[in-house]
Amino acid sequence: MDLNLFAQLTVSGIVVGSTYALLGVSFGVIYATTRIFHLAHAVAYAGAAYGAVWASEALGLPFGLALLFGLATGVVLGVLIEIVFYRPMRKRNATLLTIFLVSLGISVAFPNLLQIVFGPDNKTLPRPDNPTYELGSVTISRQDVIAVLVAWALIAAVATFIVKTRFGRSVTAMRTNPTMAEAVGIDGNRVYTVVFVIGSFLIAVAGLLFTTRGVATPTMGLQPTLTGFIAAFLGGIGSQWGAALGGLALGLLSSWSALYLQVDYGPVVVFGAMFLVLLIRPQGLLGKAAA
Amino acid sequence: MSKRRMSASTPSRLSFPSVDVSRRGFLSGAAVLGGVSLLAACGGSDSGSSSSINTSNVDPQAANGLTAIFGPGGKTGGSEVTLSAGMLLAMTGQGSFFGKVMSQGAQLAAAQIKAADGITYDVHVADHKSGDVPTAIAATRQLITQEKIKILQTSYGAPSEAIVPQIAQSKLLSFNGGGSSPGQVGKDFLWQTRMIFGDDPCPGALAWVAKQFPDATKLAIVGTQENGVAGASTIGPAAWKALTGGTVVANEQHDVGATDFSSIVARIKSTSPDAILTFSFGDDVGYLVKQMREANVTVPIIGIEFTEQAAKVAGASYDTYNFATDFYDPANPNPWNKIFVKGYQDSYGEAPEYYGANYYEEVFFVWELVRRVLAAGGDATDTTQLQNSLVENPTFKSLYGGDAKSTGEVTFNPADHTISKPMGVFSVTNGQPKKIADIVKISADADPTTALVS
Repeated sequence: MDLNLFAQLTVSGIVVGSTYALLGVSFGVIYATTRIFHLAHAVAYAGAAYGAVWASEALGLPFGLALLFGLATGVVLGVLIEIVFYRPMRKRNATLLTIFLVSLGISVAFPNLLQIVFGPDNKTLPRPDNPTYELGSVTISRQDVIAVLVAWALIAAVATFIVKTRFGRSVTAMRTNPTMAEAVGIDGNRVYTVVFVIGSFLIAVAGLLFTTRGVATPTMGLQPTLTGFIAAFLGGIGSQWGAALGGLALGLLSSWSALYLQVDYGPVVVFGAMFLVLLIRPQGLLGKAAA
Repeated sequence: MSKRRMSASTPSRLSFPSVDVSRRGFLSGAAVLGGVSLLAACGGSDSGSSSSINTSNVDPQAANGLTAIFGPGGKTGGSEVTLSAGMLLAMTGQGSFFGKVMSQGAQLAAAQIKAADGITYDVHVADHKSGDVPTAIAATRQLITQEKIKILQTSYGAPSEAIVPQIAQSKLLSFNGGGSSPGQVGKDFLWQTRMIFGDDPCPGALAWVAKQFPDATKLAIVGTQENGVAGASTIGPAAWKALTGGTVVANEQHDVGATDFSSIVARIKSTSPDAILTFSFGDDVGYLVKQMREANVTVPIIGIEFTEQAAKVAGASYDTYNFATDFYDPANPNPWNKIFVKGYQDSYGEAPEYYGANYYEEVFFVWELVRRVLAAGGDATDTTQLQNSLVENPTFKSLYGGDAKSTGEVTFNPADHTISKPMGVFSVTNGQPKKIADIVKISADADPTTALVS
């Protein structure tokens, strides 16, 4: 084995996997609590990116403020989907399948809306300096380091919030038994709104991390949403650390597969591993088995 | 009572084998889906739309200039001929930029030709959603049956290969200026208006690298399974060996649309190549070049495409990138090109680029064929006669090449339906390309050094 290549692939895997972990927790916190297969999560990802670009180009905001504006845009869009679409549907006893169909429709329509409003051209944010650091044979850029630190800091914050705070325990209660939780006075709608805020915030951060290194495009949101879904299920629904571990495992596996295989075989390795894990542990890596 | 039984006994609920859906919820969902589908349609396929540029908006000087170049309009210029034309483009999805500029180019051409009292070229744009084959087949069928198209301007490799039978069966005179691939070569009624993507410029590109970097012997190749497949697997390695005596130390493939190249960068870096040749296209090239440079891979990278969209992705690192292709130069002083550039800027508020130019030019090929068929006393709406005319005289005026006094020329090969255009090697400075060498297509058994002309 080429140890230098292994070291570089490990670092690359951690960098990519950290973003996947963020996406996993983002998707997982919403799905675990609401059971909504929130495909329209892609809206918050792309919305944050386009919000930041618009704030930078049209409003002339400096880089940092443009990012904050984008973050707010992503969160608002995510919460609006819950309030405008999902909540009225729940009130009318719509099933999860129906809500999923609406979510699917939103995820299809939103890129087209972006294309109509902003055009199909790539949109960019101002590029901050991105020096690289050499650690032996391994190279890592400043933005890589920032992405890893931001991702794990946010994951830790969300996990702590869910476990340690009173409101977090309300989220857990709604996840495990919503009828009982509401019977003891927990406001279900409020909890759902908060998990949409958290989930949308996390994926908005992921969208901004991507855009500062690449470009914003109308269709940018769907693939990260699906990655988040895979990470959450691989790691275990209902466990923030499980979803994060699932994301990290995805990143490392796809990266390590390049040790022996062409890179375009990476997805085969990843999905093969996921299949095996879920075959042995249907509840995911850190999920709890159903009683 | 089970949910299922409840469903069956409650008239307001629709029952399914494993789920039950309230009618109200279902209707709400359907209403929302209907609305968003409408929105999706607005942003995507608009098959049936016609040229969006009003002929009266065309600069009269442009019409006069075109008459001077192509001959007068009127009856002999096809003013009584109407052709329904389809465009099968990436109007949505990752490649929607390409669809935008391609359709803009063709619509401008249609308006300018009409203003010059030429044919009525009625443009209908359909969406293959950035390369989706089933969608392409269905959209083409719709263009044939509903819009009664006789001409088709297609794009991308896989969708265009998939509709080859439809093109032949319906005798659609078709042009592809966006994704020429070996699978489309020599197909009846289908003509390529760009050099074979990646494969044709490959020997010239490597000859330039070998000349500029005489110590280079180890080549790494990056590509996809979509375009430039032969270039990556056979043409490139053979040319490199003949040019340098060296070897290909890495030959990596990635999925089209990839944004994370970290594993490919690591694998290539571990082989310490002297140069990198990439057949990647679209935004992928931008991400590849950017991530290579961020990983301190400083060897020359030469590709086979340039788009401003990819330049946006790569940022300043694109100034270290070279590419070899039949690249369109908006600054070319060729008189027809000046009319095109001005018309494009006036109509769309932006400078034209490669793909807009190709699809603009194709409409003029059709106009020229109509003129020829009319001059011979034929039926200019008969696509067989149009194609026969092309075979008889495969040379056309072009935006490519030429000089301040004359247009350039391109020539189709009637045997395999490919085209010969001027090609070059380009550098990138401040995100803008500049030609630095001329290259030509060579035969498979030719000395690759002959591919580099200057």
